[in-house]
Amino acid sequence: MMVRRIARFFDDRFGSDAAIRYFAAKIYPDHWSFYLGEFALYAFIILVATGVWLSFVYDDSQARAFASVVALSRDAPIGYLIRQIHHWSAVTFVAAILIHMARIFFTAAFRKPRELNWLVGLTLLILASLTGFTGYSLPNDVLSGVGVRIADSVVLSVPFVGAWAASIFTGGGFPGPLLLSHLYTLHVYYLPVAIGALLAAHIGMLTYQKHTQFARDPKHVVGRRFWPDYALRTLAAFAATVAAILALAGTWEINPIERLGEYRDYLSPNPATPDWYAAFLDGGLRLGPAFAPTIAGHPIPAIFWPGVVLPAVVLALVAGWPWIDARIVRDGHAHDVLVPPSAAPWRVGAGVGLIVAGFVLTLAASDDIQSRTLHISVTALVTFYRWALVIVPLGAGFLAAELARDVRTRTIHRNAETESVVALRRNARGGFDEETPRKTA
Amino acid sequence: MSTRYALLVAIIAALGATSAAAAHASPAAIAWLAAAAAAAVAVAAGAAARALRAPDDLREPRHARGPSQPEPLPADAVSRGVFGRMWAYAAGAFVVLAAVPFVALARRPAPRGTAWSAGARVVDTFGRALRADDIAVGGVATVFPEHNVGAPESATLLIRLQDDALRTRPDRVGWAPHGNVAYSKICTHAGCPVAIYRHESYQLYCPCHQSVFDVLDAARPISGPATRALPQLALDVDAHGYLVARGDYGEPVGPDDWWRTV
Repeated sequence: MMVRRIARFFDDRFGSDAAIRYFAAKIYPDHWSFYLGEFALYAFIILVATGVWLSFVYDDSQARAFASVVALSRDAPIGYLIRQIHHWSAVTFVAAILIHMARIFFTAAFRKPRELNWLVGLTLLILASLTGFTGYSLPNDVLSGVGVRIADSVVLSVPFVGAWAASIFTGGGFPGPLLLSHLYTLHVYYLPVAIGALLAAHIGMLTYQKHTQFARDPKHVVGRRFWPDYALRTLAAFAATVAAILALAGTWEINPIERLGEYRDYLSPNPATPDWYAAFLDGGLRLGPAFAPTIAGHPIPAIFWPGVVLPAVVLALVAGWPWIDARIVRDGHAHDVLVPPSAAPWRVGAGVGLIVAGFVLTLAASDDIQSRTLHISVTALVTFYRWALVIVPLGAGFLAAELARDVRTRTIHRNAETESVVALRRNARGGFDEETPRKTA
Repeated sequence: MSTRYALLVAIIAALGATSAAAAHASPAAIAWLAAAAAAAVAVAAGAAARALRAPDDLREPRHARGPSQPEPLPADAVSRGVFGRMWAYAAGAFVVLAAVPFVALARRPAPRGTAWSAGARVVDTFGRALRADDIAVGGVATVFPEHNVGAPESATLLIRLQDDALRTRPDRVGWAPHGNVAYSKICTHAGCPVAIYRHESYQLYCPCHQSVFDVLDAARPISGPATRALPQLALDVDAHGYLVARGDYGEPVGPDDWWRTV
């Protein structure tokens, strides 16, 4: 058999048999929600594969970038298709990371000893969004160009260092002679290399610390062998990701820059809305107060508050969550067993509240379109969304927590009825161990 | 068995996608055939995994975690006191040194002027010089200084108003000959083009974040997140009747930053 011969080849040269056997026999807990992160990984592989191809035809000069992307789409159906696949993979990549992160959050998989991997994962989300944003900007079309200009204004708004940072990046002014070249280097080199390195760290930590599980056996990993059982399952996940992205790319056209035209700083698309994963930031800019104080004659532009302060606060909160959570439950112990979301209703409330706040901001990013279709003034919509940003997440959070509480109560009652209760056993150290009595049926 | 059939479908679909690409079929056809091939592989792998009937409750012990109780180190390897605070300070000094190239790279950006200068004729985006009567009352045009169409930061909106509609500020008398008033098109909020003019309400509207500026009152922001008025370009009419600029903008155009004291 082929696999065996390859293993033999390496064993003869490296004595790798023991390691291969160890990894082949490694146990992986299995649950549908554990594949969400894998979808992200596989989307990244497709991104790298299609991105390498795109780099053969893209021209990063200010004068020819747009033309090179149009030519790539016009000259061969395969070029058009590869750009479609690349963009759809980027969307899938970010979406899969977000959903994976929500799963980690609601099942409390971020708890000790996995706080570091939570931070690595959050960094990967930021890098994925930045890679998405820089890639989306490379065609130099009028829609993405306006987005880059807004990003430049946000960087400019940072007191003291902002203007310096922006001038290094653009080469001075806007668009600036170095802008596209720097965006391109970031997009094809620094960001993907950083993502690759952090993915290795993410999966390395996961492998070493072993995956969390729902089975209530804190001393053991409970699941399937890697080879061939889990390997076949993850191969199926890979192929399914490829199939889904290809189907999306063949069905819905994404980012048709040919119809938008090239960027000029005096031309504007209308409506001007960004890709969905950046829309919440744009929504923040629309709702932000017209408040620009001056400190000793130096202005702090209004865009600083929703453009820099708001994302920084949210990021700090999410990054610190494993420690905040441990404080709230007064639990500094390590956990390998996941909890069902309903076990901690307040956590469900906090998570749902944050997600809903993101949705409100995302909706606010198309207030001009809503104004046109609903015949409501933009000013009224901005007022509405400002209130909604406070009230709706609070309401949704309380509602979600209440539902979780209800589910928890029902589960406890049902478990009590069907005798599959958890037994607590006093151990030698004076603590308690949880034990699930074996089912007799 | 079903794994084999699924893989057969995958082979046929993959070859089909290849021939579709070779025959310059539509992107949708190529994509769907390739998607079918990948889906068939997913089915094959899923069926193979199912056919294993492998148990899902195999157990493997988890690693012990700290606090660890290591063997005491031999006396000559005790590191206490070797890495004192001075090492950290020295490391810090090198970090400061490493920052030098980056600080050198960062230069305080020079105040960015625009391409407008005294006497520069006002031209539209096709480069045609405009006379004071070329834009009808109620009309608007995107204009540039002559020979500089498309110059960065120089895009300007020329709006024609009734002669006495403008609430002229005392320091801007004569800047709008025959009702031709000119404002920077670059939004002071985030640098987007302020592309929409609502002539019935004399408002400029930015499509990015919906800032609204009052054309009759020095383009003062009246709604939305912008806090600074669009700079006004002082115009004049030259001897041949063409609109010209009296000079560059008197204040920075575009979004503010810490160093652009206004």
